Amino acid sequence: MRIAWRGAEFRLLLPILLLVPFGFLVTNIALAGTFETGDLTLALGYVALFVGAHLLLVAFGHRGDQLILPAVGAMGGVGMIMLNRLPQDLAGTSAFGLELGMAATQLLWFGVGIIAMLAIAVGLRDDGILRHYKYSWAAIGIALLAATLLIGYEVNGARLWIDLGPVSVQPGELLKIVLVIFIAGYLAETRTLLTSASVRIGFISIPPLPYFLPMLVLFGAVMLIVVRLNDLGTALLFFGIFLTMLFVATGRRSYVLIGLVLFVAGFYVAYQLFGHVQARVDVWLDPFADPLGAGFQPVRALYALGRGGIFGEGLGQGLVTLGGNLTIPFVHTDFIFTAVAEELGLLGAFALLGFAMVLVFRGLRIAALARDDFGALLAVGLTASLGLQTLIIIGGNTKLIPLTGITLPFVSYGGSSVLASFIMIGLLLAVSHRSGTADRASGS
Amino acid sequence: MIATNIRRLGLYLMLAFAVVSGSIAWWQVVEAQSLSTRTDNPEVIAARRSLPRGTIFDADGQVLASSEVIDGLSRRTYADPAFTHVIGYSSLRFGSTGLERAFEDILVGQTDPNPIRDLIGDVLARKPQPRDLTLTIDRRLQDFAAEQLGADVGAVVALDPQTGAVLALVSTPTFDATLISGDPEGAQEPMDALRNDPAEPLLARARQGLYVPGSIMKVFTAAAALDAGVITPETTFESQPREELEGFVVDGFTIREHDLGGIQPSLWPLSEALQVSSNVFFAHVGLELGAEAFLEYARRFGFCEPIRIGASDRALSVDPSFVTGSVDGDCGPFGDDVELASASFGQARTAATPFQMALVAAAIAGDGVMPAPYVVRDVRAHAEGDEPSDEILDSFGSAGGTRVVSAEAAAATRAAMVDAVNGELGRLYAGQGDITLYGISNARSAGKTGTAQLGGEQAPHSWFIGFAPAQDDATPQIAVAVLVERGGSGSAGAAPIAGRVMAEWLRISAGDDSG
Repeated sequence: MRIAWRGAEFRLLLPILLLVPFGFLVTNIALAGTFETGDLTLALGYVALFVGAHLLLVAFGHRGDQLILPAVGAMGGVGMIMLNRLPQDLAGTSAFGLELGMAATQLLWFGVGIIAMLAIAVGLRDDGILRHYKYSWAAIGIALLAATLLIGYEVNGARLWIDLGPVSVQPGELLKIVLVIFIAGYLAETRTLLTSASVRIGFISIPPLPYFLPMLVLFGAVMLIVVRLNDLGTALLFFGIFLTMLFVATGRRSYVLIGLVLFVAGFYVAYQLFGHVQARVDVWLDPFADPLGAGFQPVRALYALGRGGIFGEGLGQGLVTLGGNLTIPFVHTDFIFTAVAEELGLLGAFALLGFAMVLVFRGLRIAALARDDFGALLAVGLTASLGLQTLIIIGGNTKLIPLTGITLPFVSYGGSSVLASFIMIGLLLAVSHRSGTADRASGS
Repeated sequence: MIATNIRRLGLYLMLAFAVVSGSIAWWQVVEAQSLSTRTDNPEVIAARRSLPRGTIFDADGQVLASSEVIDGLSRRTYADPAFTHVIGYSSLRFGSTGLERAFEDILVGQTDPNPIRDLIGDVLARKPQPRDLTLTIDRRLQDFAAEQLGADVGAVVALDPQTGAVLALVSTPTFDATLISGDPEGAQEPMDALRNDPAEPLLARARQGLYVPGSIMKVFTAAAALDAGVITPETTFESQPREELEGFVVDGFTIREHDLGGIQPSLWPLSEALQVSSNVFFAHVGLELGAEAFLEYARRFGFCEPIRIGASDRALSVDPSFVTGSVDGDCGPFGDDVELASASFGQARTAATPFQMALVAAAIAGDGVMPAPYVVRDVRAHAEGDEPSDEILDSFGSAGGTRVVSAEAAAATRAAMVDAVNGELGRLYAGQGDITLYGISNARSAGKTGTAQLGGEQAPHSWFIGFAPAQDDATPQIAVAVLVERGGSGSAGAAPIAGRVMAEWLRISAGDDSG
C-alpha cells in the first residue's frame, strides 16, 4: 500500500472546512446579539472528521475522485451550520448514557457515515461480492421492506421506521442502495439483449418482455410496498433511479417514455383511489386555499423563501420560531433547504445547489470512466439517487412538484439518511479507485 | 455506448437543475415582495406584535390611532370610536380589518411607499420604519354625523363630489377598538361580547350593510332615462293620474301608489313626480328605459360589483349593491316587467349599501361624473409626538372619475332634486333636508328621501341622499347618503340628519377658508 497524495482534495477541503467554524461563529454572534464566539466544538469536530477522512484516503493510497469529498463536505457543512442554528430539542439522542442535541447527534452520524464510507472506499477492492450476489441483495432488500411493513411504526402517516432499541432506522434508505446494486448487476448482464431484441411498433420500441420480467416483478413488488407504506417521495425516487439506469443501459428514450406514461397513469389511479394522495395534490395546486390547515407547511415555507430574497436574512437572523413554535414544521428534515434559502438567500441556495451539481457531475464522470458496465451502471444509479433526491425535495420545497417527505442528502437531519448517503459515496469512490481516475482527475 | 448515454443523462440532469433553480428564483425574487405583504404571513404577524405601528391622523392632524410598545408588545390605542368602521382594528389576537389591514405593510414599515427606496431597503435589510397615514375625513364632521345618528342604527356617508375624498363614513352602533387591540388574553371577552351583540356592532353598515333603497333609487332611474333620451324633463304619462288612484297594472300585477297624503294627482312631469315621489311615474320611466339599459346604467354607477375606496391594491372595500337578484355576486337578469317597474322606484330585489347611494348623489352633484372615492390622503414619515410630520412620502388625490351620464341629464336630475327639497310639493316630504333650516342662509340643498318598505309590521328603513350647495351657480361641496334602520319615513328619520351634516360641513369648510 503506497501513499497517494490527494492535493486537489486537500486544497478544496481546506477553505470549505474553514467556513464551517466561521458559519458557527457568525450564527452564535447573531443569536447572542453580542460579540461572543460561543461554542465551536461541533464545528471543529466536523473539520476533524473530514480532515481525518482525507488523511486516511491518502494513507491507504486511494486513487479515487478528489472532488467528491469536498462537495460532500460543503453540503454537510451548510447542513451542520443550519442544524446547529435551529432549536436543538427538535431531535436528538439519549442513547448510551449520552444526552445529545440535534446538531451533536447529526455529527455523530457523520462520524459513523464517514467510517462506513472509508471502509467501503478502501475495503471494497473487488466488486464481485456486489455483482455476483445480486439476487441475494434483492432478497435482503425485500426482507428490509417486509420488516418495515411488519414491525415498523408510523411517523407523520408514513410507516418508515424500525425501532432497534437505542436507535430507530429507516430501512428505506438502505433499500435504495441495495436496489441500485441489484439493478446495476441485472442490467450489466442483460443490456445487450434488452437493446437488440426489442419489437418496434411504429416509432415506439417495445422492450422484449421476458428479459425484463424478473426485474419488473421485483420492482413492482417494491413499488407496491412503498405505496402501501405511504411514502410517495421514496416511490418517486425509486422510479426515477430505475428509469435513469434503464436509459443509460439501453439508450432507449422510448423505454423512459413508457415508464413515465406508466408512472403518470399509476399516479392518476392512486389519486382517484387514495384520499391522502388527493389531499397532497390539492395542497400542492393551491396551498393558499387553506393557509392555516392543510397548506400550513408549504405556505410557511414559501413565506420563508420570500423573506430570504436574493441576499438572505443572514445566518441566525431568519424567522425560525415565532412565539415558541417553529414557523415551518419539520424544518430540520423536509424543509432544511428552505431554512438555508431564508438565511443565505438565493445566492446561498444556488451555492448549495451548485455543490450538489458538482457531486452529480463527478458521479457521472466516474460512471463514464468506469472499467466495466457494472461499475458504470452502479455509479449512474448511485449518482441518480443522490441527484434526483436533491431535485425532488428542493422542487417540493419550491412548489415545483408536490411535497414529499424525503431528505436532502447530507443537509437534512437524519441518521439513516446520512449513513446511506455516505455508503453511496464510499461505493462511488470504490468504483472510481478501480478505474484509476485519480491521476486524470487531479489534472482536470 | 454507455458513455454516450451518460453524457445525454448529464444534459437532462443539467436541465432539471436549471428548472429547479428557476423555481427557487421565482419565489425569492419575483414573488418575494407580494409574499412579504400578505397578512397571514407570520413575519407580518410578528411585526404586528412587536414593531411600533404608524399613527393615523384625521384631515386636520388630530391623532386617531397610535401605538406604543410595552414589554415588547405593540399596543394600539384608538382615540375615537366614530372611526372604528373606517380604520378597523389591529389586534394581536384577531388580526386586522379596515385601513389597518389595507395599509398593514406601510403602517409597520415593511414596504416603503417609494418602490426604489423599498428595493434599497431590501438590499440593506434595513429595520422596518413605521409610516403614518392622514385621512381625508375631518374628525369634526365625523363626530358630528355620529352624534346626529345618536343611538339609532344606521350610517352616514359624505363625499366631496368633485374629488371623491371621503368626508364622513359613519356606521352605528360602533365600539371601542382599543378593547380588542391590546393584551391578547384580555381581548377575548370583549370580542365575544361584540360578536354576540344582536345589534351587530362589528358590521360596518356604511360599506357592508345591504338595504332596500326605496325612493332614493328614483334619482338613478331619472338620470339614466334622461341620459338614454327616453324621457325629457317635460315628459308625462297620460294614464298616470288615473293610475295614482287605481293602480298601474303591469303584466297583470297592480303597482299601487304610496299614500300621497292630501295631494291630488295630476299629470306630473319629472320635477313634480320626484317631489311627490310618484311610484307610478317612475315605473313608467323604468319600463321605457328597458331592462337591458337599466342594468347597463346600474353597472356604470357602480352597482353589481364591489367598490374600492382608494387605489385597488390598498383599498377599503365596499360590498356590491344589486338592482336584481344576485347571481354569483353579480346582478342577474330581471325576471319580468313587474320586477323592472318595481326596481325603478327601489323596491323588488334592489339592495344597496349607503356608500353606493352616496356615489349616486355625488355623480349627480358632479355634473354626471362619478368620482373615484378615496379615504387616505397621504403617507408620512412617523411622527414621534401628536403632530404629523411634514415629510410626505406619498400622497393620493382625485383619481379622476367616470362619466356615467351626460352633463345635461345630470343638470335636469339636479334641478328636480333641488325642487324635491325646496319645492312646494317636495317640502312636504324632503323639507327636513333643507340646509336653510340649520343656519345656512346663502345656499340651497338638493336631495331625495326614501322609505324602504320591508313588509309586515316592521317600521321601514329611512333614507336620504342629497348634496349642497345646489343652487344654479354653485359647485356642490358635499354629497351625502344617510340611512336609519327602522327609522320610519325618509322625511322623519334620515332627512334632518342629512340636512344638518351638509350644513355643518359648509360651516366647517367656510371656517377653514377664512381662518
